[in-house]
Amino acid sequence: MSMNESNHSLSSNASEYSTTTGQIEVENPKMSMRNVDVSYGDKQAIFNVNLDIAKNEVISMIGPSGCGKSTFLRCLNRMNDTIESCKVSGDLLLEGQDIYDPKLDVVPLRARVGMVFQKPNPFPKSIYDNVAYGPHIHGLANTKFELDEIVEKSLKKAGLWDEVKDRLDQPGTGLSGGQQQRLCIARTIAVSPEVILMDEPCSALDPIATARIEELIDELSANYTIAIVTHSMQQAARVSHRTAYFHLGYLVEIGSTDDIFTNPSHKLTEAYITGRFG
Amino acid sequence: MSTDKSSSHISQRYDDELSGVKSQLFEMGGIVEKQVKDAIQSLLDIDSRIAEHVVKDDTTINDMEVAVDEDCALILARRQPAASDLRLVLTIIKTTTDLERIGDEARKIANQAIMLAEEGPAPSGYVEVRHIGHSVSTMLSQALDSLVRQDVNLALEVAKKDKAVDLEYGTAVREMMTYMMEDPRSISRVMGIMWSLRALERIGDHARNIAEHVIYLVKGDDVRHVGIKQMAKAISDDD
Repeated sequence: MSMNESNHSLSSNASEYSTTTGQIEVENPKMSMRNVDVSYGDKQAIFNVNLDIAKNEVISMIGPSGCGKSTFLRCLNRMNDTIESCKVSGDLLLEGQDIYDPKLDVVPLRARVGMVFQKPNPFPKSIYDNVAYGPHIHGLANTKFELDEIVEKSLKKAGLWDEVKDRLDQPGTGLSGGQQQRLCIARTIAVSPEVILMDEPCSALDPIATARIEELIDELSANYTIAIVTHSMQQAARVSHRTAYFHLGYLVEIGSTDDIFTNPSHKLTEAYITGRFG
Repeated sequence: MSTDKSSSHISQRYDDELSGVKSQLFEMGGIVEKQVKDAIQSLLDIDSRIAEHVVKDDTTINDMEVAVDEDCALILARRQPAASDLRLVLTIIKTTTDLERIGDEARKIANQAIMLAEEGPAPSGYVEVRHIGHSVSTMLSQALDSLVRQDVNLALEVAKKDKAVDLEYGTAVREMMTYMMEDPRSISRVMGIMWSLRALERIGDHARNIAEHVIYLVKGDDVRHVGIKQMAKAISDDD
């Protein structure tokens, strides 16, 4: 059977991928999602996704454009709330707490579950203020000294301190693309999140800056839980512990990155990661 | 260009993974080297105790081959290594195969030693075993050294020695045939020695393969199936 034939028959029949292959549960999950459906108006974008995210793991979500990976990621800190037509249903728990509870304040949620976006988006403020802003409004620092400490620590963790320590008062927008993205990561870290969501964090960066961010992700995984959406399968292979493959709104397969990239169980996953479609 | 001289990768983990498989390979090389020495010793001393150890330890080598290859597959899948890194991973995968085969040959020699020990007095042909055995263990040590130090000149030495061993093997086979013709009762025992010599000769071939992998690793030139002259030329080319 040629790959082309198999793709053809696969993509036309949702029953072949509507149940997830692989182990969705983990012990003591940091986040736990069950029966998640998402639609934009009449159009359903996510179908019955079930997935646990373990503490301090790096989980990557891959799949062709429009497969719902970014939509799913954005559900995890209610970033989709900003889109009027978007409806999310199902159970989404952060340490057992329903994050879609109507009584829950979304601002502290987003401090606990931070997000780094595709394009670096520093505030039009100084490097210092970019990092200090979050801890300041969340009241994490009582004195200027404490705030200074948080800024320094965050920039160090983001691997940016040595490059910017002499020009903290200069605008964040004056940094290079890779530096800006690390500044955004520092800004996210500054509010001591538990989970960091990254939506294509390297797609606007050159290979060297990308490698530095990936190295950073590896270091950060010691203290944070990281969920990353990426178009680059190679990046998923390099940085993540587990990989989830999405297809047309379904979670097709979830497994250890080692298994997914050497011996995936589902033929759609195999076809996608070997570059046969997507 | 040597992979050891190059500076480290931006990804610390990538560095760790590469040096991890490298050190596993070196460890495997060390064990195989000892297996070969012990196998030869067990045959020369007709010591079935050592020989049995050699037979038993062969499974360790087999397990290591599988483990190293698995790690290499993960590096290929996760890192997509390029240039010298790619050559390093390919070299490691090929070298484990050769090392595992050397382990098998050592086990064959040990098995012969066990059989000969059961049959009694030493047959003729030990001089040849001692001589070729010494050449072959030296070749193997040098091949592994050339790998660790990425020393292409030493690798070339190994390839040259292999030619000499092949000639010695041919001579030894003719000697064995003479022994058998002189004393047909000794045929089964002399055959045991013949098989061992054959195994030694094969070990020499595998050592040469490893040396060829080293030249590929360092120079990027594939020197399999070419003569010594061309090999020497590949080494002297500055690129």
